[in-house]
Amino acid sequence: MAHKHHGIGSAPPKVGDIRDTLKRIWGYMAKEKKMFYLILVIIFASSGLSLLGPYLLGVAVDLVIQDPSASVIVTMLLWLLLVYTLQSIFLWLQNYWMINIAQNTVYDMRNHLFSHLQRLPILFFQEYQQGELMSRLTNDMENVSRTLNTAIVQFVTSILTILGTLVIMLWLSPVLTLLTLTIVPALYFGMKWITKRTGKYFKEQQKHLGDVNGYVEEMFSGQTIISMFSREERVMEDFEEKNEALKHSGYWAQVYTGFIPKLMNMLNNISFAIIVGAGGLLALNGFISIGVIVTFTTYSRQFTRPLNDLANQFNMILSAVAGAERVFQILDESEEKKDETQADHIERIEGDVRFDHVDFAYDDQQLTLSDVHFHAKPGETVALVGPTGAGKTTIISLLSRFYEPVGGRIRIDGKDLKTITRESLRKQMGVVLQDSTMFHMTIRENIRYGRLEAIDEDVERAAKAAHVHDFIMQLPNGYDTMLDSDGKGVSHGQRQLLSIARAMVADPSLLILDEATSSIDTVTEMKINDALSELMKGRTSFVIAHRLNTIRSADLILVLRDGKIVEKGSHRELVNQNGFYADLVETQQAEKRASS
Amino acid sequence: MRTIFSYTIPYKFSAFVALALMVIELIVELVQPLIMAKIIDEGILRDDFGVVSTWGGVLIGLSLLAFAAGITNSFFAARLSQGVGYDLRRDLFKKVQSFANKNFQSFSTPGLVTRMTNDVVQIQNLLFMFVRIALRAPLFIVFGLVMAFTVNVQLATILVLTVPVFLIFLFFILTKGVKLFKAVQHRLDRVNTVIRENLSGIRLIKGFNRGEHEEKRFVKVNDSLLNKNKRALWLMEVAMPVVMLGMNAIILIILWLSTDRLVAGTVEPGEVVAIINYATRIMFTFSIFTFLIMVFSRGNASANRLEEVLNEQTPTYLQDGGKKVSLKGEVRFDNVSFAHADQPTLDGVSFQALSGQTVGILGETGSGKTSLLHLIPRLYEKSGGDVYLDEYQIEDLDVKSIREQISLVPQEVHLFSGTVGENIAWGKEKATKEEIMEAAKQAQIHSFIITLPNGYDTELGQKGVTLSGGQKQRLSIARALIRHPKVLILDDSTSALDAHTEVRLMKSLKKQSCTVLMVAQKISSLKAADQILLLHKGRLIAKGSHEELIIQSPYYREVYQSQQEEVM
Repeated sequence: MAHKHHGIGSAPPKVGDIRDTLKRIWGYMAKEKKMFYLILVIIFASSGLSLLGPYLLGVAVDLVIQDPSASVIVTMLLWLLLVYTLQSIFLWLQNYWMINIAQNTVYDMRNHLFSHLQRLPILFFQEYQQGELMSRLTNDMENVSRTLNTAIVQFVTSILTILGTLVIMLWLSPVLTLLTLTIVPALYFGMKWITKRTGKYFKEQQKHLGDVNGYVEEMFSGQTIISMFSREERVMEDFEEKNEALKHSGYWAQVYTGFIPKLMNMLNNISFAIIVGAGGLLALNGFISIGVIVTFTTYSRQFTRPLNDLANQFNMILSAVAGAERVFQILDESEEKKDETQADHIERIEGDVRFDHVDFAYDDQQLTLSDVHFHAKPGETVALVGPTGAGKTTIISLLSRFYEPVGGRIRIDGKDLKTITRESLRKQMGVVLQDSTMFHMTIRENIRYGRLEAIDEDVERAAKAAHVHDFIMQLPNGYDTMLDSDGKGVSHGQRQLLSIARAMVADPSLLILDEATSSIDTVTEMKINDALSELMKGRTSFVIAHRLNTIRSADLILVLRDGKIVEKGSHRELVNQNGFYADLVETQQAEKRASS
Repeated sequence: MRTIFSYTIPYKFSAFVALALMVIELIVELVQPLIMAKIIDEGILRDDFGVVSTWGGVLIGLSLLAFAAGITNSFFAARLSQGVGYDLRRDLFKKVQSFANKNFQSFSTPGLVTRMTNDVVQIQNLLFMFVRIALRAPLFIVFGLVMAFTVNVQLATILVLTVPVFLIFLFFILTKGVKLFKAVQHRLDRVNTVIRENLSGIRLIKGFNRGEHEEKRFVKVNDSLLNKNKRALWLMEVAMPVVMLGMNAIILIILWLSTDRLVAGTVEPGEVVAIINYATRIMFTFSIFTFLIMVFSRGNASANRLEEVLNEQTPTYLQDGGKKVSLKGEVRFDNVSFAHADQPTLDGVSFQALSGQTVGILGETGSGKTSLLHLIPRLYEKSGGDVYLDEYQIEDLDVKSIREQISLVPQEVHLFSGTVGENIAWGKEKATKEEIMEAAKQAQIHSFIITLPNGYDTELGQKGVTLSGGQKQRLSIARALIRHPKVLILDDSTSALDAHTEVRLMKSLKKQSCTVLMVAQKISSLKAADQILLLHKGRLIAKGSHEELIIQSPYYREVYQSQQEEVM
């Protein structure tokens, strides 16, 4: 939801602190603490070797030049070869293992984020744009991943090299070292200036990327509507706006990032000039030897190179933090209420459902349902009738515990719904929803979704009962035809039949049919009606439908209006009451008379 | 890669400036050691402070120049990469706008979304790196080699001979890398697909208590992403140590070979030192290469994926112009057939709807109703026969102009983020408040909207999840009515309405001066139509008014009677 940002977008930055974010990332990495420490040891070793190599090479060159025929040269070269080989092996090992840890960390974060999503209340999903959430799980995670792969190793290597060089420099000449260090304040303030900007733009960039992702996802899934209404140009304009915003933040993030190596390079040269200039003066006065200045200049270069890396890595870490913060914001959303501690796991539900004066409201607003009171005995069929928006779907959501009542009580088999674990409750339920969601899997797997243990024969039996078998067999790959997640290519009616087959496979004790047959033609509906009534037999069923045949045969009809039950009873009773229901029946009969 | 490369052309000025600035930087960088050597050799070592201060000043001046060049380069490089990124996203988005159903099936929405974001980011990284450091590597290697030659031809030859070996090795890593990273991006699509399904199907998932199952499914795709990612990155990490070891070994070989020559006196000691110095420098340059190769492999893999979309064949008729006419609203099908994924869906359908008439369409699930309706605004392309709007064949008309005069309400409602009012206004550019309300009233949704907390300004979730099915359908109808279409197509758009509301809606539709084609399941919804088409397995088996069909078609009679019984 681009316009509305309560919660995620506008919440005060709870995890704004970089240190907190890094700590949380470390929390995931800590799982492989041992491996991590091992890597640190190897980095230590390879840094040592990278200092030892050039030193030994210098010795070898001196040896070669002084006495080219000396026999020690071969030994020396072999030693060098050993050092180089070890250095390469360590280098490879540290990166290999680091990628392992980094990718495992990202993997764990993704899994955690995903399972957290599964535990969030339904209302959460109604408030946030799908594509924006997707971006957090992919684009933002990718950002973390990119940094973790390399930044840590380079960070540690840089620090080690800096410390090592600093020691040597101090040993060579404390005065010149101090002179070299004069660039550090410039470096500090320069970096502060830059990262203050990159940090800001990295955050904006990730947010804008999320916006683009969200917009694109929404538009691509509504493509037919866009073409139909010839809204391509208008949509394009809106997109350009978001695209422009992303370009803007991306541009500045990149520009400022680009400053870092240049700044470092300049400081490096200035430090060189300072050393030779001031050093020269000192040498003239005899404070230090000229040889020291020469050696010192090489070391000062060695000092600034890792400083440059350090600055770059720090910047990359900022970019990862920008991604990670957005991930953690989702993880900080509170989960669906936990089952009450005394909640029982229930094996089998008889299906005695009782609503005791139940009230419900979204976000403390006005009551969507008030004083809903009824009792369904096991095996009965309850039909919910009423104008759209009267609260029919809400009753079903309460029964599934997607929402919690704000007043009253719901009981199943005499037990308060709160004393039953959500998992065991939902395991007993089978749902057929009007939007008939399908997954990017084969038709067989989609039907099997109702009961994962179902064998192929069960799947086919259900498909036959739902009168969708013939259609499936017409498809080139039959039951193995892959479905698209948007269900493109299969008509809505066919998908409803598939979702009925899915519920049939589930063999639930509580059955919920939410306008399950609205898009199925009446001929097919009649065909599957037998199967449906067979399905409903022995199970307590809740049916929302507009067609009277299902409603008429229901044991209990609840007529809802504005969140209240205005009439309740069997078909015969209600017709005799001469109320809203009788009116409804009358309308349809009038139509019938008019036509015949 | 070529298509993507052509995207840099509009930014060639920025690219050239960035490259030129980089060359300045490189020259400074190459000259720097020479000046430093001069300062040390001629200044410090000879106690000549004049040289130190002059050349020191030159050095600082050059550094500032390089700094200025580098900073300016950053702006141009960012303009290039962000500009190309922007253009790519724009064109990808535009391209997808012209996608037909078939195209969507070959890419899948999440796959397209990953391309628009993640893959474009990879290309941006590649470009930014390219104009900032890419030239550096080859330039430094060539420079190092040339300098080595000026020192000693024999020893330099060894260096020259080894460089191609490394290049071939790096090229090998690169080609493998492109493949592996393509697989990585593909896995990312799959992760995206599962996430997307879970976000949109969360009710069903919770309803069936499949949370754990979904987690397992996610772990599976995540696992496969993890494996591919690791494999690709590990391959990249091989390059650097191998190149370093190789170069170091070469240095040792040069050193070893020079011993004999030193004894023979064909090589000066200083020359050995110099050659080894250059060899070391070339080695460090190769390490830039290994980094570039990673960026390049990723970028190349992504470029391929983007090109797949950009080069996708989309229906051409959408771009073609054609006559722009003001329609009266007559629709005629003459022996029309249509095949969907090589399966015949419609076969020889003929009928005529006069302007202002209402035509009902009845048929079983899968009988071809939706296909028939989608042919009219050319959302599908017929495979045979002729479709006429007024006296024109639809191929002769401008698609845009006919779509502006036709409203189709699809079976499945898709609402957009935004307010209720904005969603209705979607149907008409610059619709006024009054028009929005008028359309809502006609669609029988006005009285519901005003009960919402913010009325027409109430925000909807992405899929309008908080509305009931019937409310969504009526919003969707209001969106279609606001543009006063000449032809209104309702694809079973009243299925979730209760009988009362439906009757009121039908009455209101009657008052509109447009041709209405509507699919419905209930004969009661269609009875008042001037003509009812009965479809069966893609063929038109009967047509006529309700009264005629009752007499003529046993099938229709059967359906009608069954529904009558149902009503009781």
